[in-house]
Amino acid sequence: MSAEPQTDTVDMMLNMGPQHPATHGVFRMVLSIDGERIMGVRPHIGYLHRGSEKLSEHESYGQVITLFDRLDYVSNLNNELVFVRAAEELMGVEAPERAQYIRTILCELNRVASHLLFIGTYALDVGAMTPVMYTFRERERVQNLFEHVTGARMMHNYFRIGGLKEDVPGDFAERVLSVVRRLRAGVEETDRLLTFNEVYLARTRGVGVINAEDAISCGLTGPCLRGSGVAYDVRKAYPYEVYERLEFDVPVGEFGDCWDRYWVRLRECYESLRMVEQALEQTPEGPVMAPGRRIARPPKGEVYAHAENPRGDIGVFLVSDGTDKPYRVKVRPPSFCNLVGLERMMEGAYVADAVAILGSLDIVLGEVDR
Amino acid sequence: MSEEQRPPGEEAAAQSAQPAPRPHRGPPIETADETLSERGEATAKRLAAALGADAVAAGGRGETPWARVEVGALARVLRRCRDDDALRMDMLHYVERIELDYVLASVAHNRKAIIKVDLPADAPSAPTATRLWQAAAWYEREAHDLFGVAFEGNDDLAPLLLFEGFEGRPGLKSFPLHEYEEY
Repeated sequence: MSAEPQTDTVDMMLNMGPQHPATHGVFRMVLSIDGERIMGVRPHIGYLHRGSEKLSEHESYGQVITLFDRLDYVSNLNNELVFVRAAEELMGVEAPERAQYIRTILCELNRVASHLLFIGTYALDVGAMTPVMYTFRERERVQNLFEHVTGARMMHNYFRIGGLKEDVPGDFAERVLSVVRRLRAGVEETDRLLTFNEVYLARTRGVGVINAEDAISCGLTGPCLRGSGVAYDVRKAYPYEVYERLEFDVPVGEFGDCWDRYWVRLRECYESLRMVEQALEQTPEGPVMAPGRRIARPPKGEVYAHAENPRGDIGVFLVSDGTDKPYRVKVRPPSFCNLVGLERMMEGAYVADAVAILGSLDIVLGEVDR
Repeated sequence: MSEEQRPPGEEAAAQSAQPAPRPHRGPPIETADETLSERGEATAKRLAAALGADAVAAGGRGETPWARVEVGALARVLRRCRDDDALRMDMLHYVERIELDYVLASVAHNRKAIIKVDLPADAPSAPTATRLWQAAAWYEREAHDLFGVAFEGNDDLAPLLLFEGFEGRPGLKSFPLHEYEEY
C-alpha cells in the first residue's frame, strides 16, 4: 500500500429527483456518497408549494376545508377533520354525536385506504411487484364507499364546521360492514404475502434505523415514531371525537427500522377496522349538523388543534380576528416533520437502501410543500 | 444496523415458523382519569412553576396552556421547558409567525404547552432552538423563508419551500396574493 501514489478521495454527489418515480412526488434529495455508503443527504422540497396557508387567509372558513382536502391527498377526510375541529373549538360548537361517529368511521376507513396505498407502493419500492395489485383492489372498495357517501372519490369536502354536509345514505351501515369484512380478508392476504417474506425482510430489516430519542427530537410522529417503540398516538393521548369510547391498541415497533414502520401501519389497519365496527354499532340516530348560523364567524382568539392523521400528528394553529376569514392558518404537516428524520435514518446506509428508507416514511408531497 | 445482532435470514425463519403477532404495548398514559382541561390546568401550574418571573403573561384553553416571554429570556425558557423534570417537553411541534409560538409537547408526561414571544416586525430575530430539538431546523428555515425571521445561531437558513433567489416574504400580510406575478 505504501508504494501506491497518494490520492485524494472526495465524496460523490448523487442527485435523486425531483422527477423520480420512487420519491412519490416531486421530492429531490442530494446524496453525498462514499462508494456504496451514504455520508449525508440534503433534501430539497417546495416544488409543490401552492401557498395553501396564505390562500386560507383569503377564503371563508367553509372554503378553507377544500384547501385542506388538497394537503394530504390520500387521506383527505383526516385533514378536513382537523381543520373543522379547530374551527369548532374556536367557535365553541360541538358536532352532534351522530356526526362525530360518522366522521370517526370515515376517517378510520380513510386511514386503512392510505395505509394500503403505502403497503402497495412501498412493496414496489423494495422490488415486490405483486402486492400493489392486491392493495389497490382493496383500496378501491373504500374509494367506492366514499364516492357513495360523499359524492367524490377524492377531495370530498364532506365535513362541515359543526357536523357533516348531509346525512349518510340509508344503506351506509350495511355497506360499511361489507367493506370492513372484505378489507380485513384483503389485508390478511397482503399480510401473508408480504410481511414475513424473506426477500422483503432482507430489504427492510435493520435498514434506516432511528432510535426513540432521535425520533422524538426530530419531531417524528405517527407510524414513524411508533416504529421506534414510542407509543404516542393522539387518539389515545388527547382523545378527540369518539375515540375515548372505542377500544383499540396502539401497535409499536421495536427497532425503528423500515420493517417496523411497515409493521405498525399494517397492524393499524386491523385496529382501524376494529374501531369502525365498534363505532358503527354505537352510532346513534339524530341530526348531523349543530344548530345555529350557517356562516362560521368565530370570535377573536386562537387555537391549536391536532389529530392523528395516517402519517402522524397533524396540527392546525388557527387565529381568528373575528371576521369570516381566518387571520392565520398554520399547519403542522406530519410528512414535513417526518422528513426531518431522513438525515438520521440515511447516515451510513447503502445507496441501494435510499429508496427503501424514503419510502418507509410514507410522505405525501402535497402536505410537505403545502 | 448491526447485522451480527439480527441476521435477517435466521429471523425470517424463526418468524415464519411462529407467526404469532408480537405483543402490543399500550401508550404510557400518565393521567387516565383526568379530563383534558384538568390536565391543561395542571400543566399550566407546572409551566408557571418552571418559568417563574420569565413569564410576562399566561393563559390558554383546553389542554394547551401558553406563556408569553421576552426575546431575551427565550433561550433559557426553552431549555428549561425541555430539561425541567415536571415538564420534560421533548418534542417541538411548531414555530409560528412573527409572534413566534413554540408548541411544545412532552411524550413522557403527555402534556402540551405553548411558549409565545413577540418579535419586532421590521427586523424579527430570535435565538435558535436547533440545539434543543433537531426538528427546529426545518421549522426555522420555513419561518425564515416565509416571514423573514432570523434565527441567531442557525447557520443553515437556506430557502426550503421557496426557490433560491425568490424575493419577498410571501407569508407576511403585506405580500399580495393576486397582484404578484411570478415571471
